[in-house]
Amino acid sequence: MRLESLYWLSIQLNLNNGIVAVKLDEVPGLFIRIIPTATSLFNLSKLNLKQNNVRALNTGDVPQPTPKYNCSILEDMFLEENSKFVKKTFSEWEELGEALILLKVWARLRSSIYVHDCLNGFLISVIVSYLVAQDKINHDMKAMAIFRAALKFIDTHPLWKHGLYFPPAGDNAFSEEGNEQHNSSTRVNLAFRIASVAYPELQDEVALTLRCLEKCRDGGFEEIFATKIDNAAKYDYCIRLNLKGNSEVYSLGFCLDDECWRVYEQDVHCLLNQGLSDRAKFIRVIWRNTHSEFNVENGLSGLGSEPLFIGISVSSVEKAFRIVDIGPNAEKKDEALMFQKFWGEKAELRRFQDGKISESTVWESEQWTRHLILKRIIEYLLGRHLSLLKKDIVQIVDQLDFSLLHVGKDPVSYSGRLLGTFEELSKRLRSIQDIPLRVSSVQPLDSAFRFTSVFPPEPHPMATKRVDGARVHNFTPFCVQSLEVMIQLEGSGNWPMDDVSIEKTKSVFLLKIAESLHNNWGMTCTATEEDVDVFMDGYSFRLRILHERGLSLVNREIGRDQMKWVSSADRKLFIHGQHASMINGLQFCYPIFGPVVRLAKRWLASHLFSACLAEEAVELLVAYLFLKPLPFNVPCSRITGFLRFLRLLAEHDWAFSPLVVDINGDLSQNDEKEIDDYFMQSRKADEENTQNKSKAMFLATACDKASEAWTSCSPNPLELKRLVAYARSSANLLTKLILQNQTDSHGWECLFRTPLNLYDAVILLHGDRLPYPKRLLFTSELDQGRHVAHGNPSNAFHPYLLPADMKGSLEQLKTKLMVNFDPLRCFIGDVEKEFSDGLKLWYDSLGGDAIGLTWEHSKKREREESELDRKYPVDLLRNVGEMGKGFVRDVYLLKAPRLTK
Amino acid sequence: MKKKKGNREKANVVDDGEAVQMVANLITTKEEKKKDKSSKKKRKSQEKNNACVGIDQLGDEYEDHLQKQNGKYKKDRKMKKKDHSSSRESEQLVEMSKAVDEDEVYEIPSGDEDCSKGMKKWLTKYHQSRPGLKVLQQRIDDFIIAHETKLEQERKEKEARLTEGGWILVEHHKGRKKTTDSESGTTVGSVSQAVVEEKLAKKKSKELFDFYRFQKREAQKNELMKLQSKFEQDKKRIQQLRAARKFRPY
Repeated sequence: MRLESLYWLSIQLNLNNGIVAVKLDEVPGLFIRIIPTATSLFNLSKLNLKQNNVRALNTGDVPQPTPKYNCSILEDMFLEENSKFVKKTFSEWEELGEALILLKVWARLRSSIYVHDCLNGFLISVIVSYLVAQDKINHDMKAMAIFRAALKFIDTHPLWKHGLYFPPAGDNAFSEEGNEQHNSSTRVNLAFRIASVAYPELQDEVALTLRCLEKCRDGGFEEIFATKIDNAAKYDYCIRLNLKGNSEVYSLGFCLDDECWRVYEQDVHCLLNQGLSDRAKFIRVIWRNTHSEFNVENGLSGLGSEPLFIGISVSSVEKAFRIVDIGPNAEKKDEALMFQKFWGEKAELRRFQDGKISESTVWESEQWTRHLILKRIIEYLLGRHLSLLKKDIVQIVDQLDFSLLHVGKDPVSYSGRLLGTFEELSKRLRSIQDIPLRVSSVQPLDSAFRFTSVFPPEPHPMATKRVDGARVHNFTPFCVQSLEVMIQLEGSGNWPMDDVSIEKTKSVFLLKIAESLHNNWGMTCTATEEDVDVFMDGYSFRLRILHERGLSLVNREIGRDQMKWVSSADRKLFIHGQHASMINGLQFCYPIFGPVVRLAKRWLASHLFSACLAEEAVELLVAYLFLKPLPFNVPCSRITGFLRFLRLLAEHDWAFSPLVVDINGDLSQNDEKEIDDYFMQSRKADEENTQNKSKAMFLATACDKASEAWTSCSPNPLELKRLVAYARSSANLLTKLILQNQTDSHGWECLFRTPLNLYDAVILLHGDRLPYPKRLLFTSELDQGRHVAHGNPSNAFHPYLLPADMKGSLEQLKTKLMVNFDPLRCFIGDVEKEFSDGLKLWYDSLGGDAIGLTWEHSKKREREESELDRKYPVDLLRNVGEMGKGFVRDVYLLKAPRLTK
Repeated sequence: MKKKKGNREKANVVDDGEAVQMVANLITTKEEKKKDKSSKKKRKSQEKNNACVGIDQLGDEYEDHLQKQNGKYKKDRKMKKKDHSSSRESEQLVEMSKAVDEDEVYEIPSGDEDCSKGMKKWLTKYHQSRPGLKVLQQRIDDFIIAHETKLEQERKEKEARLTEGGWILVEHHKGRKKTTDSESGTTVGSVSQAVVEEKLAKKKSKELFDFYRFQKREAQKNELMKLQSKFEQDKKRIQQLRAARKFRPY
């Protein structure tokens, strides 16, 4: 045997218990830890919890008790004895050993409780042995029952208060081993490391686990034993304090009952607890101040270089986003003074609506920056009380906001105005008299109405009744986003019967409505044969009619197999409408839902997955996180939610299980069985028909049990595989960014930068010919592959109004406005029409300037091989480039297609 | 032939797996890349050199790739041969395209004069599709009239055919206004959907399902079958979970 290395460690970061760890050469991964014990060195009577053993620690002349220090010495003294006891309990009891393994696995997956001031492996075995000694566990119990019993014990027995003594009080079974000589006050409290601040966290974790056992599929196995609950995904706000070289930590010296790092942890916890009050449910402060390369010979100087971690679970979003904190009444002088002292210049006397005059703090903030209030409070408090500099406080809050901003502002701030405008529109629509059938209901469909659109439209200065010349400036976009609105008309027996006529009749109705709106209110309308758009207060709305006959058929379509009778347009509209109202309801319950969806959508789009996953499917995926958060709590910050979204994508077992999104919580067991049956059916169909696999991602809801609405065609299995791989690497990167000390923004940007070398060919577009150039996150460049073609930008289209345009009259200008014009979509449509069986396109519909191409091998192509042979691959790419004349900037070839012959 | 196809698919999957690996590497190494710019520059210059011989390189790479795959499918010798022939073909192909282009970057015109393709086409299409409300109205009216006459004609033709065969179509005109659609049985117009549904629900509740003993027995049997099938499904799931090896405690 040869020693590979030998180094110093400490038990649970406590330097009083130094140990030596030995790593052996032969067996990788095996460590031997040598723990010194001192069975007879100290006088037991002096180690009573109320005794002082650290001479330097006294207030005035009265020595302070040093319970922690005494306990650590006691632990050393009785270590052998205790481990003997534990060993004896576990010998020849298989179930108990298995239960212990389960418990350890459970604890290790939860990094917030498996730390120095909470649980550790030895303590868990001690707890289990204790329960055996107490007869709480007997030989009839199976491993899972023991596991549950241990959790229940932890939940109900406040370890930090009562302590955990061996042997249990009133038990004389071990008296022959010589324990009778010390009374209870000098026995070791084996749970002395559990801090009072850590216990509630532990309790919560246990409660969540017990809930998993009850509620989750397969007895919660995956949630309890196979899901990693690390700090990044658990806490809503993660903060790192860089305390390297901070002298204040050591100001009290090293001769304390507890070590200075632990004392500092406590200080920070106290401070935040007081400052955040009911905004935070849990605050966890963990400072892993030693690291593996720690060397005793260097003294204590190298310690504390690791950052201190603060995790905060928010109690509720409303509380966390609160602007005013009301303090004590001004009449209570003492309390008011304390308040002022704590908050400094932030404290101000205010008179409130109910006439009360109180001390208070106010954190003025716009609606879309409310999530930053907590950050500001923490920054202020740490700066004021611990004199930390801003650069040493890394708060993970707003690092991803850059991806949602448009020209420096979050466009969601316009949503209030949008909803107001929509209200007015629906009032006008319902009051229209001069059409044969009256409008009975108006429902919003677009995601902007439910706060889940990445870029909800900003009011356009020209999409109004009277154009305000002053607000038309150089950067006024030429294009207007149109938002879909669904209308239902009164019932009538006079509708035509065939689909074509129905659609035409709808168009006629819409034109009439538009005309009426124009005549009565002077609203501008523009129409094609399919769509009618009306302008109002800067927004453009696209009207659609849902025909009730189609709707009634949808309802029964499952039972009587009348699919052919359902007009597909109506069906789509109906499903959209249902989805919109469902998500809208959910959005009101969870205010953080919107931002998480927006981040998720932006991430998917920026990795060119726009064609793979429908917008609505993303909303459902994120909804799942909020509806079934176990083993976590409901996410309360956008970054945590986003991280969990990525992990869901990466870790869900898409091949073998359906994802059931139960929005109203009303799915019965029968419903779930039905969903399972549909799922099995579709998988079986895939097995038989390997050519054409569908529903790789099975997303079932109460109104769509067979997952037909959003994921029936895309993503296909290959796309899903790619999606999962991207999600996994992004999730890993994000976790690293949250937990490790990286302060540069570049790392965060990488989450939204997609590697272009993973495609067979890449088309880059002219960024300034996109309809909204400001939405582009990064200009794409490629320095590899073969440059096949280069194109010049067209002069026919500009995203912004040019000075030349503005010379004409404003009314004339208004007619030039383009509704929902998107060259990217046109280009994609053209290319797909022409080359659908040889190429697959990956693009970003939210305003990216790159399109990835991969070669597809389909049956059809094989047949036409000879003809296409000549074209491949350079000519083909040039042809593709030609189709996007004036829009395509560069075309690169990275990988020639593999031939199939 | 069939077998080969299967193999090809597998190869596809393998390829994808590699791409996936690359993603993981790429995203994580990005930062490092930024740090050592010098090495990146080197790489860049290398790449530039490569660009000149780019096509040959691509061919080589492609062959390498295939060889790797062949390693995986050593058993199938036939397959190997076929693959080789195809790789030669691809080289030919690449040479061909090389001959076409002579290493020049093809210049796509901005196309401002040409309406058949690209930006100009989309813009014209956009504007053409919006001729104004009046025109649209007219168009749709025309369409509907044409459509109706077409339908009418079809109907008449059908009738004519029937009369030719000696049949006479008898039509029923009297009676009150229709409220239900004859084909689907759904209400049209006056009676609301909700009322119909309510009626249906009422009708259903009147039926008794546990009147006869055999009904009860059947229900029990069904229940049992359901439980059994669920048990089987759970068993299958556990097997799948095991196969997926998701549980990695250490």
